Amino acid sequence: MSTAELTSKTERKAPATAPPRIERGFYPRAAVIAVVLLLVLILLPQILSLYYISAMTQVAVYAVVALGLGVLVGRVGLISLGQAAVLAIGAWVAARLLFATSLPYEVVLVASGVITMALGTIVGLPALRMRGLYLALITLMLAGAITVVLASLNFPNGGHGFSGYNGGLLHIPPIRRPSIATTDPAYFRYSVVVAVIMFLLVLIHVRTKPGRAWAAIRQSEPAALAAGINTTMYKLWAFALASFVTGVAGGVLAGAVRYLYSIDFQTQDSITLLAVVLMGGAYSIWGAIVAALFLQLLPAILNDVGISPDWLVILFGVGVLQVLTTAPTGIVDQMPKDIARLFRFIGGRGRRSAPAKESVQ
Amino acid sequence: MIQLALSLPSWSDEQPFLVTGLALGGVYALSGVGMIVLFRTTGVLNLSFGAVGAFGALIAWQLINQSGMNQWLAYLVCVLFGGFITLAYGMVFGPALANRDALVKTTATLGLTLILLGVMDLLWTSNGGASRSISLPTDNHGFIVGQIQVTTTDIIALAVGITITVVTTLFLRYSKLGTAMRAMANDREITATLGVPVRRVEASAWFGCGVVAGIAGILLADLVALDSTTLTFLVISSLAAALIARLSSIWITFVAAIVIGVVDAAITPITSLTNYRDMTPFVLAAAALLFLNRKRVLSLARQEF
Repeated sequence: MSTAELTSKTERKAPATAPPRIERGFYPRAAVIAVVLLLVLILLPQILSLYYISAMTQVAVYAVVALGLGVLVGRVGLISLGQAAVLAIGAWVAARLLFATSLPYEVVLVASGVITMALGTIVGLPALRMRGLYLALITLMLAGAITVVLASLNFPNGGHGFSGYNGGLLHIPPIRRPSIATTDPAYFRYSVVVAVIMFLLVLIHVRTKPGRAWAAIRQSEPAALAAGINTTMYKLWAFALASFVTGVAGGVLAGAVRYLYSIDFQTQDSITLLAVVLMGGAYSIWGAIVAALFLQLLPAILNDVGISPDWLVILFGVGVLQVLTTAPTGIVDQMPKDIARLFRFIGGRGRRSAPAKESVQ
Repeated sequence: MIQLALSLPSWSDEQPFLVTGLALGGVYALSGVGMIVLFRTTGVLNLSFGAVGAFGALIAWQLINQSGMNQWLAYLVCVLFGGFITLAYGMVFGPALANRDALVKTTATLGLTLILLGVMDLLWTSNGGASRSISLPTDNHGFIVGQIQVTTTDIIALAVGITITVVTTLFLRYSKLGTAMRAMANDREITATLGVPVRRVEASAWFGCGVVAGIAGILLADLVALDSTTLTFLVISSLAAALIARLSSIWITFVAAIVIGVVDAAITPITSLTNYRDMTPFVLAAAALLFLNRKRVLSLARQEF
């Protein structure tokens, strides 16, 4: 913006606080999303079998986790290799509260989110002083450490004491569900609603001041600092947000599976989580949903068909390599471009001149 | 609580664990040195180190137990496999990611890790409770020091760690290839303009790292367990040692690795802490990093994803 434009703009605009600009195409997009959501909420539980309903509930849970990781990786540029451990913490806190108290489920969800957020911030604060590579490695080691702690601490199963684990229990009570959503299909709807709320929370962040600060930090941290942005606070905020949504997702997970075992939270899961987030596209909100579909729906389908889910692990490994070498913005961004290129090729226009390569951000 | 803490095991209880600790520390040092040399030469922190070692160890197991191959030959195959698969990865993905941040290059090795983990699980499934094991013939030899049983394998593990540290230091300082690697760690482009065969030096670094991974895999499979997940994530201990050395000093890596191995093993007989002993690498590395970075004001996030 040239100085002339700048001064003329400030001269013309009368009110100091202009109403937020609604971009073109917002209402049609929002309408489409609302329709899809309604279909998912109403139709899916009717047509899917219970097996796939529980798989889709997991998709809802992990979409939120992927969203948190996407904020860290895509928006701020910090890699965390320990988000599965954060999810485990959220699930643990939720399970402990659900067994020990009779608080309403929503309160437990918020509580597990807040406690996980506190822990995430505590880990994040000193880690912000390290190079990005060191942060990634520290989170990897943290994931390993938490896996170990969980293996001996175990998940609460109705016992007493701090850990709430009673190794001698013969009949382990299932984790309770909210009173309005006790059946699997109802709980699926519940988890989708919670997921939507988390997505909206992140969306609000991204569209307002924190999002702009994150974009500035991602572009060039020295420039952001020079512009007066408190980079440490905003990076910490990203950690806090990612931990909060992951903690809430952990609470939803506890109610979904009803029996938590430490064997379900392995160090490897943090790595596959990062892999699918990179593949789905860390930068876009939709990428989180794609990532969760990869992580939870595909294995369910493969299991149903009888193919070992190990092939998926291999696919994720290949996906990471492919994404990092060729399409850093992930599938969600790359697919439309590939399809557009395909159409151009079919239309005959792409044959001679290569389309101008978009600069890979 | 205090009573528990005071009931520390006696010195004679601790001794056998210290032997194991030193042996493991030696292997962690071996792995750490391998990773650091590669990092300094190519800028890639090879997180697939453990997975490569695990894969090699499983191949060796397969050859010994299912094909009846001579075990030393099988171990040689394992070591060579480690070298070649790491070399293959380095030659394909090294150039592709050469201009990217160290974080991106390291994340890419996670891709290789996942591929190896998936293939290992497919080929050697871990269900059915079938436990596999590798035992080196040196397990049966040993001697008694005071009241402790020290097997030759323990000696070899520690000796290999020390040897590699010394040899690598001398190699980097006095040999032509080592000097070339140090130059490349400094600035790859200028090194290339000086006429150093950069691709060949890189290839040697990748191959060397892979060979070390294979050796570490066999030793860890013998000392700990032959399980793909366990071996893959044992790399975390070596990683901690490398981090404490700021990914640059070989001798600090060695010392840190020994300390991690010994502390981890020494905690084993302490009943109140024993379940948490595998947190040792994390706790030590986190503490060390916080201490080393205490004067640092900020770190820079990068727009790489």
